[in-house]
Amino acid sequence: MIKFFEKDPYAPIQYVYDIEKVLYKGKSKFQEIMVVENPYFGKMLILDGVVQITERDEFFYHEMLVHVLMHAHPNPENIVVIGGGDGGAVREVLKHDSVKKVFFIEIDEEVINVSKEFFPTVSGSINDSRVEIMCMDGAEFVKNRDKDIDVIIVDSTDIVGFAKSLFTVEFFKSVRDCLTDEGMFVTLSESLHFHKDLVIEVQEAMRLIFPVVDLYTAPLATYAGNWWTFSVASKRHDPRIMRRKFQIDTRYYSDEIHAQAFLPKGFYDRLMARGLKW
Amino acid sequence: MIEERFINKQTWDKVLNFIALSDEPSPYLLIDRDVVREKIDLIGKNIRNSRVFYAVKANPDREVLSYLNSLGIGFEIASEGELRILSDLGVEPDRIITSNPVKTLVFLEQAVSYGIDYYAFDSIAEVDKLSRYAPNRNVYVRLTVPNEGSEWPLSKKFGVELEDALGLLIYAKEKGLNPVGITFHVGSQCNNAYNWNTAIEKARDLWEMAADKGISLSMINLGGGYPIRYTRDVLSIEYIEKKINRLISEKFPSDLTVFIEPGRAVIGDAGVFVTSVIGKSRRGDENWLYIDVGVFNGLMESVGGIKYSYVVGSRNEPKPWTIAGPSCDSFDVIDKEVILPEPEVGNRLLILSAGAYTISYASEFNGFSIPKTILI
Repeated sequence: MIKFFEKDPYAPIQYVYDIEKVLYKGKSKFQEIMVVENPYFGKMLILDGVVQITERDEFFYHEMLVHVLMHAHPNPENIVVIGGGDGGAVREVLKHDSVKKVFFIEIDEEVINVSKEFFPTVSGSINDSRVEIMCMDGAEFVKNRDKDIDVIIVDSTDIVGFAKSLFTVEFFKSVRDCLTDEGMFVTLSESLHFHKDLVIEVQEAMRLIFPVVDLYTAPLATYAGNWWTFSVASKRHDPRIMRRKFQIDTRYYSDEIHAQAFLPKGFYDRLMARGLKW
Repeated sequence: MIEERFINKQTWDKVLNFIALSDEPSPYLLIDRDVVREKIDLIGKNIRNSRVFYAVKANPDREVLSYLNSLGIGFEIASEGELRILSDLGVEPDRIITSNPVKTLVFLEQAVSYGIDYYAFDSIAEVDKLSRYAPNRNVYVRLTVPNEGSEWPLSKKFGVELEDALGLLIYAKEKGLNPVGITFHVGSQCNNAYNWNTAIEKARDLWEMAADKGISLSMINLGGGYPIRYTRDVLSIEYIEKKINRLISEKFPSDLTVFIEPGRAVIGDAGVFVTSVIGKSRRGDENWLYIDVGVFNGLMESVGGIKYSYVVGSRNEPKPWTIAGPSCDSFDVIDKEVILPEPEVGNRLLILSAGAYTISYASEFNGFSIPKTILI
């Protein structure tokens, strides 16, 4: 059986997967796209040599990316999903009846097409009438809206550009300005094992612009470092508190998981004070 | 990253914090107090018996001058407008000199009544003016010196050669003034250390010629000229000053007083212009980027050869740009072939080392306002 060696430039660890079959290999304007079949994980989507999702465990990531804020917000109606061309985040968003509109902003149309073909269980909801697909840069989309979005979900490993930069500052300000006064924003922010300092920097950059900033984590088997963080910024509401009843169908996320996903307060404060030594 | 090479990390961090926290509309000029203070601590440190007078023309913003005043340094001024601000700030007259060799009568009268005691000159007409309005005051003559290697040469308008300078010192003494020294200017943004050699040797010749005529001098004024980083590395102030100090120690008496008049070196790299992209276009095979600061409202020096470093918060592919200001004048082009990742309209464009000779040159031509200066 052939092997796939993952090429994650930021990870101090390398994963190797058995491959039964290469189902697709192509190059879009933005990246190299590959779909392979693994005996344990099933189909896997790989972008520029880094595993994005696998059929077997994508729900951990997508549920945790989406449902925390969808329950912390009192009434999420207008949602923006940036990135996540596989459609998994959109699928989770649409589980909420409150949702009236989803702007699905993916710069690379090819990822959407490949996902439609090979991951129908993930991408199946993107044809819903509430979803508007726009193939453009997410940073550009958020610049041109005015306080009408309830929740923004960044489903990308790099839109934040990680550390504090002029891009980050401008992006976060645009995000703030397109959210309603009760609006909330979540983005993946790397592993607490391998990129603790980066996590702190993203949190600090968010704190400059949003009054409420917090961090929760989820266990993700196929992302290097596994203990992945989600950075949350909110204009008013504490995201630790659920403002809506948990009544959707999920496999991992629940009200119990919501309650324990956030770092304990004291531990979070120690992290931000750079008091955690590893 | 350009911002790591041409701006220190602390300043960059403060700039980003300011942009994050503030809703101030662009354009504006941010000045990092800490950089200004470090420069004030550094300049003059390696030259014996020296006094530093900030050249107000480099950036005459009221808050900037007030901050510099709190650091206790001196000021070099040229006009009644500059004097008015210093007077409002309560700067003592013994901390002010004027090195403008051709002063207006209004300014001269006000300077004398304020109590300023040091005046430059380089012509008979100026000696006549000074003897009438500023009798008995200390005066110093401006020598021409080579400006090769400075990015903003300026010696043609002012200064005289040795023989004329000697004649003027003698004439000034006859007219009841007190000739105390010599000044020169090696050119602004001077990256040629040898210019100071030539200048100091020439001053030494004049010093001896004056002594032979019974005029005993006690001061030399080095003017400005210390360079700052724009798009390339430059000589360090420490290096230049150690060289100057060695020369002065060899060639002048040990009780010599040295004046230094830095402007750009104090405020230049403490400043970051925060501007916005207001338009883009492709004309022929050139990419044009239009921003809300131009030649007329802050970037006049770009026309004279100063090349700035730019930062945009974009992650697109870099390409070459012609950068232009907002006015309708076709002369309003700031730079060409600047490699930058493509920004979007509305994105910020930051211009580094923009603290000096930017706001001070700005006009409201075409209705574009003069950017505000903010200390951080």
